[in-house]
Amino acid sequence: MSGTMTLFVVVALGAIGWIVARARATRMQAEAGRLATNSLPSQHGWYVALWTALPALVFLAVWANVTPALVLDSVLQAPAAQALPADGFTRSAILGEARAIASGAQAAAFNPQSMTLVEPFRDAARHYGGMGALLAVILAFAGGAYALSRVRPAFTARRRIEKLVMWLLLGASLIAIVTTAGIVGSLLFESMRFFSMVNPLDFLTGLKWSPQSAAMGYGNEDAFGAVPLFWGTIFIGAIIAMVVAIPLGLMSAVYLTQYARPQVRKWMKPTLEVLAGVPTVVYGYFAALTVAPALRSFAAAVGIPGASSESALAAGLVMGVMIIPFVSSMADDSIAAVPQAMRDGSLAMGATTSETIRRVLIPAALPGVVGGVLLAVSRAIGETMIVVMAAGLAANLTLNPFASVTTVTTQMVQLLTGDQEFDSAKTLAAFALGLVLFVVTLLLNIVALRVVKKYREAYE
Amino acid sequence: MTGQAALTPHGATPGAAPAPRIAAPTDWRGEAMRRRIARRYAAERRFRLMGLAAVLLSAGFLAFLLVTMVGNGARGFTRTQIALPIDFQRSAILIDPALLTGGNAEQALAGANLPAVIDKAAETAFGENGARMISPAAQTAVRKAIIADPAILTGTATITVPASEGIDVAAKGQGSAANEAAVARLQQAGALSTGLNLRFLTASDGTDPTLVGIWGALKGSLLTMAVTLALSFPVGVFAALYLEEYAPRNRWTDLIEVSINNLAAVPSIIFGLLGLAIFLNLMHLPRSAPLVGGMTLALMTMPVIVIAGRNAIKAVPPSIRDAALGIGASPVQVVFHHVLPLALPGILTGTIIGMARALGETAPLLMIGMRAFVASPPHGVMDPASVLPVQIFLWSDEVGHGFIEKTSAAIIVLLAFLLTMNSIAIYLRNKFEKKW
Repeated sequence: MSGTMTLFVVVALGAIGWIVARARATRMQAEAGRLATNSLPSQHGWYVALWTALPALVFLAVWANVTPALVLDSVLQAPAAQALPADGFTRSAILGEARAIASGAQAAAFNPQSMTLVEPFRDAARHYGGMGALLAVILAFAGGAYALSRVRPAFTARRRIEKLVMWLLLGASLIAIVTTAGIVGSLLFESMRFFSMVNPLDFLTGLKWSPQSAAMGYGNEDAFGAVPLFWGTIFIGAIIAMVVAIPLGLMSAVYLTQYARPQVRKWMKPTLEVLAGVPTVVYGYFAALTVAPALRSFAAAVGIPGASSESALAAGLVMGVMIIPFVSSMADDSIAAVPQAMRDGSLAMGATTSETIRRVLIPAALPGVVGGVLLAVSRAIGETMIVVMAAGLAANLTLNPFASVTTVTTQMVQLLTGDQEFDSAKTLAAFALGLVLFVVTLLLNIVALRVVKKYREAYE
Repeated sequence: MTGQAALTPHGATPGAAPAPRIAAPTDWRGEAMRRRIARRYAAERRFRLMGLAAVLLSAGFLAFLLVTMVGNGARGFTRTQIALPIDFQRSAILIDPALLTGGNAEQALAGANLPAVIDKAAETAFGENGARMISPAAQTAVRKAIIADPAILTGTATITVPASEGIDVAAKGQGSAANEAAVARLQQAGALSTGLNLRFLTASDGTDPTLVGIWGALKGSLLTMAVTLALSFPVGVFAALYLEEYAPRNRWTDLIEVSINNLAAVPSIIFGLLGLAIFLNLMHLPRSAPLVGGMTLALMTMPVIVIAGRNAIKAVPPSIRDAALGIGASPVQVVFHHVLPLALPGILTGTIIGMARALGETAPLLMIGMRAFVASPPHGVMDPASVLPVQIFLWSDEVGHGFIEKTSAAIIVLLAFLLTMNSIAIYLRNKFEKKW
């Protein structure tokens, strides 16, 4: 019996348990009267179904993890295994091949010796598979019988089921903590390995980034200075993109909330939000295909030196456009939170609408806008595809927006896509960069949320 | 100055100051005041125009992006075809016509030396460069034609086959001079036609732009999304229910809330690193598999669903809970029988938006190795697969004009999917939105 088949049988037994228990509880309720029974028939049904299926499923999960070792053990006992070479590498290659052929994942063997072991593998797998299936079914029957024997009027099936549901809900919410811990743990662990090869101070303050030379064996000194990456990230994400996104986003929000007719607002707001929904790979392609060549020919025409076809400006401009709806909706929220009395007061004194906006609304909404901009920056520096496709790979420390710069995320993709061994400083550097990125975005978010919150309280 | 003077009360107490200076009332019709007001109104109009310009600029950029993509991509859905006369009688075809009647026709033709036959026929028909005008995909067309009517093997047949990348691009107006000339010659011979590129919707990745298709990546995306949905939806909904309905106010709950809010703001590439470190290096799951991609994206989508779910649950009025509790429902029954069904439209809207984001996501999938060349659609969640956005990324790296239109066409397919998902979300929100 195959694993899927066993799984199916166990679940089917659970369903049968549900039906049987529900029928029995219904009869019991009819005999004892509604008020004398603690739980509904369906609750008894669930209790039995869970007792039938859960222990058997848990057992199957454990069994699936244990059997490979047991199968291997019994194969090594087989007479054909005596002929295996002592050399560990060939040995495991032959065993792996035999296992693949036995399970049907591979059709033919490279090493003829593997064929002699296919039969023992098949036998052992059948043996342990059958044993596991049998035990699972027995467990299912035992669990079901035990639970079925407890179907009585006074039995608190409902409380027990609900307790399980509560544990399930709690477990689901704990996954968020587990994920966070997983991120922090894996980033820290791999970064520690990286920092055991490269001095953290060199990493954070070094001016030269050339992991390729480290990979080619010139040593790790001087190869992992990440400052050019940090600069490139800030230049594109926090400077160029924000120069585009802040005025456009803020003015759009002001126009749509203060001037536009409701009909216009109703259509334009979702239209602008589409900008945030376009996948970043599309923006990246657009930046690389259309924006970057146009900027380069512009720079060449004007005579700016060092113009590259992968310019910081192209990536930054497109990223800025992507961020517009983000800034705009944050500005929208904070302007809406300014008390109406302030606006009315200003208008009543004879100020025009634009004077009210510039002198009253925006100063009052400023903390919220600043918080929104910080969130936008944190999103921009974590953005990957636009910079991977449009910003280039050369780690330059330059102020020229037409030159090529590289960013943290670009380098992470660059370091990890390729077939190198996982233990080199080159691949581990990606995790160190990831750690820096994680910490910086986290800090930006915390500061931004605090600013926004404090300001909201001021008007409540 | 005028403002200050106007504020001085007219009837000041006698003796307080030497005779109060009585300001002349503001002369609103005076030259200075009129100019001032005109200036202020001009500033008002300028500001208003700036706002309008910002909106139009942003919308214009979106329009420009879409027009560029559609303009480039529309050609990816068509292909240039050449009517190729093949004289099977005199060709080097190696086939026994008897084999074609059985079920093994495909197999028999696979060994029939068709590429050489086609090349020869093209050279006979269009000169010595003829073979280079025909796409490698011509084989499939010829094979289909033979299976449809084995009788053509006894004579000469004219079969419409796809043109090569060079001819295709030149026929669409952007090829090299040599290819343009070839196209002109073909057109004169009346051999050229334009047809729907069905192959683009049914094939997978390939090495030649006339061979590639989107189906493999689309199927990979669908499988990945299925895994993501199956994992993130129940977990997200359960977590939202727990936090909103049952969680006690204590430090642990705060910790859960803080981590969910932080996860929603973590850059997506970090989730890719997590997937790489945990799923691939620790658990040794296969690279490039939709299962791993789906699990990674599920971790990313879950916080979105939790946040949307909590807002939807919060919007269910407390009176519903009180009424249910009042007639004897247990806390679990209150939530699963009453609160959850009422909050479900809102949760679904949030889920669709989260899934749309996951569908467009590329960076985390690159981290877990989903950038391999995969030439056949995946059969299950453990098979190596590509997904739409990654396919777009891979094609965008290819040189050659043939791939530009394919990339844009793939983008159109992706955007169409996203647009559909978002429209469904908006429709759901409008249809089920309740004001209590």
